[in-house]
This record gives sequence, C-alpha cells and structure tokens, in this order.
Amino acid sequence: MIQAFTLSFKLATLTAAVLLLAGVPLAYWLTFYNFRGRYLLETILLLPLTLPPTVLGFYLLVLLAPDGPLGRVGLQWAFSFAGIWLGSVIFSLPFALTAYKEAFRAVDPEVLEVVRTLGVGRWKRWRQVILPWIWPGLLSGTLLAFAHTLGEFGVVLLVGGNIPGETRVASIYIFDLVQALDFQAAHRAAAIFVALSLALIYAVRSLEEQWRSHIGSNNH
Amino acid sequence: MEIAYRIEQPLKMDVQLPVNGLTALLGGSGSGKTTLLKALAGLLPATGQPFAGLPPERRQIGYLPQGYALVPHLTAAENVALALSSKDQSAVSYLEKVNLAHLANKLPKELSGGQKQRVALARALAREPKLLLLDEPTSALDATARDSALDLLESLSRNLDLPALIVTHDPYVASRCNFVGVLETGVIAQFGSPEEVFQRPATISIAKMVGFSNIFEGIVDKITDVGIFLTVDKYKFRVETTEPPPTGSRVKWGIRPEEVMVVRSDRPLPPELQNNVLPAKIARMKKRGTGYCVKLSGPLPLLMLIPRHVQDRLQLEEAAQINVVLKPRYIHLFSSPV
Repeated sequence: MIQAFTLSFKLATLTAAVLLLAGVPLAYWLTFYNFRGRYLLETILLLPLTLPPTVLGFYLLVLLAPDGPLGRVGLQWAFSFAGIWLGSVIFSLPFALTAYKEAFRAVDPEVLEVVRTLGVGRWKRWRQVILPWIWPGLLSGTLLAFAHTLGEFGVVLLVGGNIPGETRVASIYIFDLVQALDFQAAHRAAAIFVALSLALIYAVRSLEEQWRSHIGSNNH
Repeated sequence: MEIAYRIEQPLKMDVQLPVNGLTALLGGSGSGKTTLLKALAGLLPATGQPFAGLPPERRQIGYLPQGYALVPHLTAAENVALALSSKDQSAVSYLEKVNLAHLANKLPKELSGGQKQRVALARALAREPKLLLLDEPTSALDATARDSALDLLESLSRNLDLPALIVTHDPYVASRCNFVGVLETGVIAQFGSPEEVFQRPATISIAKMVGFSNIFEGIVDKITDVGIFLTVDKYKFRVETTEPPPTGSRVKWGIRPEEVMVVRSDRPLPPELQNNVLPAKIARMKKRGTGYCVKLSGPLPLLMLIPRHVQDRLQLEEAAQINVVLKPRYIHLFSSPV
C-alpha cells in the first residue's frame, strides 16, 4: 500500500510541478493576449473535462506505443511512469488552467499599465506586483491539480497498465484489492483517500477565502 | 509644455495643446479625452511630441486613471515606493506632500476614495514627472473632497512647477484651472482661459458643454458705435461685440442662465438697457442647490438661475409675470454659421 501511495504522490507532485511551470505562462498568455485561434486552442486544452478518461488514455496509448507516431520518435512511454505522467498533465490541465486564468483575471490590467508608467520594468512587475497579487490563486489551482491527479484512474490504467512500483498508483491498487475481494485493505486505503481529499479541498477553499480578503475591493 | 499628438486608433485625433499650470481638457463622452491621456502615457500608439516613441516605462509622466489603480496588496508607502528609482528616497516624504504620511501603512481597501487618490498622486510625484496626466480626478468625489483635491493639485502644480493636464467633463473643474482646451471630434476646438471659454464659447456645442442653455437665432439689424442691434422676434436687442457680423446676416446668440436678470420695479433701469427688456411668465421653478432654476415662457423660452438672496428679495412664484433684462455685454454671438 505504501508503495502505491508513494507512487501516487510522486505522480501528483511532478504533474502539479509541470502544470505550475507551463500552465501559469499559458494562462497569462490566454488572459491578456488576443490572437487568432485562441478559442480553438482553449477548447482543445479544456477537452479532457468532458472526454471519458478511457478515450484520452486510449489515444495516448496508441500514440506512445513502440510503433505509434510518438513512439517511433523515441517517446515509447506506454506502460511507463513517463506515460502516466504525460497523461496526468493533459488530464489535469483544464483544472489548473481554469484556476490560473481566474487568478489572472482578478488582476486589473489598468493597474499593470499604470505600474509601467511608474518606470517599473517587467521583472520587478512580476516579482512585486503580479505574483504577490495572484499567488493564492496559483497555489489553489496547483493543489486542485494535485488532488485531481491523486484520484485519477482511467487514463493511468489505459496508458500505464498495472505495474507495481512503476504505474500501479493508489487508485488502481484499491481497484485490485476490491477485485481480489480484500475489503479490509480496500477500506483502509479508501479512508486515506477520503482524508487526503478533504484536507486538500479544505486548503484550496481557505486559500480562496484568504485571497479574497487580501485583495479586498480596489474599486472606486 | 507643448503637446502635438497624432493618433490613428482607436480614434483619429490630431491634437495641439499647450499645457501650463493646471490645464483642463474638456470634452463630451467619446471625444477622445482618455485616449489622448493614454497616448501621452505611452499606452496607446501615437506619433508626436513630447516623448515620441518611448515606452511607458521611459516617459517621465505621472498618470492617474479614474480608478487610481493602486496595487491592492501593497500599502500606501509600498505603492509609492514602486515609483522610486533609488533606495535613498523615502516613500513617506512623498506621502507628506499630499498630507497622508500618517496612513503610510494602510492598504488601499482601508482608504477612502479621496485618500486613494492622494496616494496615487504621491506615487505619481515619486516618479519625478515632467507632466501630470489626470483622468476625471473628481468624478468619484463629493463636493468638499472635490474642492480640496483641486486645491491640492493647484498648490502642487505651482510649487513644483509641474504642468498638469486634467481630463474632465465637469465645467466646474475646468473653471478652476488656469487654461481650458475643448476637445471635439479629435481636435482642440477652443483653447483659452476658463473665462474666455465660458463667456465666449466658440461653437454651439462648446456652449452647451459649459452651461449655456439659452441659445437663439437673430438677424443683424444695424451696426452702431454702441454695439450691434439684433432683431429677435419683435424685439431689437443691443449686443456689445468686437467682431460685428455683417448687417442682415442671420446669427446664433446666447446668454448664460445665471446672467439673465430680473428687472426690479423699485429700481428703474438705465436708459441704455431699455432695449433689452423682455416680458416673461414664470413657467416653473426648481430648486438647484440653494438657489433656483427658473423656466420662463413668453417671447423667448429662457432659463434663469437665481441665487437664494435674490429670491429672498424678489419672492418669485410660478405663474407670475416679470420683466427680465439681457445685458448687452452678457449676450454672446456665435461665430459659427447658422
């Protein structure tokens, strides 16, 4: 059980880290810049919200198989940790992206404009104005993606299969236990999940609350 | 400072305007007032002087938008410090200039509208600007705060020798500035002292903007040494003007509602005003501040503003018959064609 939960944590942490690094600039770009094809790009990025996980997993499996289009260029990630990592990033992206965009939308573009007229350069603008303004939003989006990855099942099973220590994460471990009719062990693992989810969602909620009171109303 | 700016988007504008002391930029909504300010701040593409082609970071201007745009998670002092170029300067010293040093550690949400504005002003001053740009600085303030904001701007501009361009649609704000430029369809339609613009508006639309509600037509009857005579209805008003239009021409003329005067029966009018007396019936009286706005019917549908002390003496009532006088030097002839 420890092995499965450790793997789940590793997967969720790495997924959340990629989403934070790539998702924040992406969300900034999608919020403040208008370009041709923006809606189409957003639609594609949000697709995993409605797509059955098995469909996403199936396509990834086909792509990443040794003779698949990506597998042939070296990404033979089917049934490996890298494969479920990629799947998790794609699958949790809509959650993180939506939260990040929400955070950026709270930033008044007029404030950024005026800060520019004060002679504040790009780097100082990010460090002193933008990041302190939105960090609770970024953190809550990242925690949400982390929690979502922990609970993921379909994509991981299809892309990664069920290899202990490599792709058998906690949710699949529970599935195995139930199939083996080991209800006692399944109960224990499921209880851990409930506690974890409660703690994470509670953290997300209180971050949002704190964020709101911290920003207050700057409107005249 | 001389401004000469040409803007293509979002509005075609070609503006030439001197900015000295407090200069008001008066204009209706959609006339491009804010567009010009943003272009001067470098936030919209434009060509012209000063600051041609520089990004906003490199223009020495202090830009205050309508909502003040304070950074919500930074205190007053931290907001000011954003604009400081070296660590030796103190943010609090700039807050002192706007009498707000005691609120240095407050967040914007803990400040009133007027205080936020003063923080924004201190922050703009910390930039050591060559020009202040203010967008509707009084629109969110009550009457007292509006006056003290204008007092503060006046003294800062004078003491620091800092020209300020103040965008406003409020004639009162314009009247308190040193100069007024009126923006219409992308160009400065009139520039001058507030007295000039308010007493001698160049066009009918400027007249309406600065509170001229009595605008009529007349025909120039004759030109004499004591002014021209204007035929209006069956009356012949005398008008004092330095630029008499040709005899027989049809002109627009107007008089400000606060300059229409009631003739008092106990005080005979001097003979040179006799021509300009007009009977009228009081159609409606409305409170306006402490005074009254009086709507007259009769040969001319005039609007008249009278202060309280005049009403106390005259005791005007609706439906009463009175005589009003339009003094020759208060009648303004518009040069724009009919």
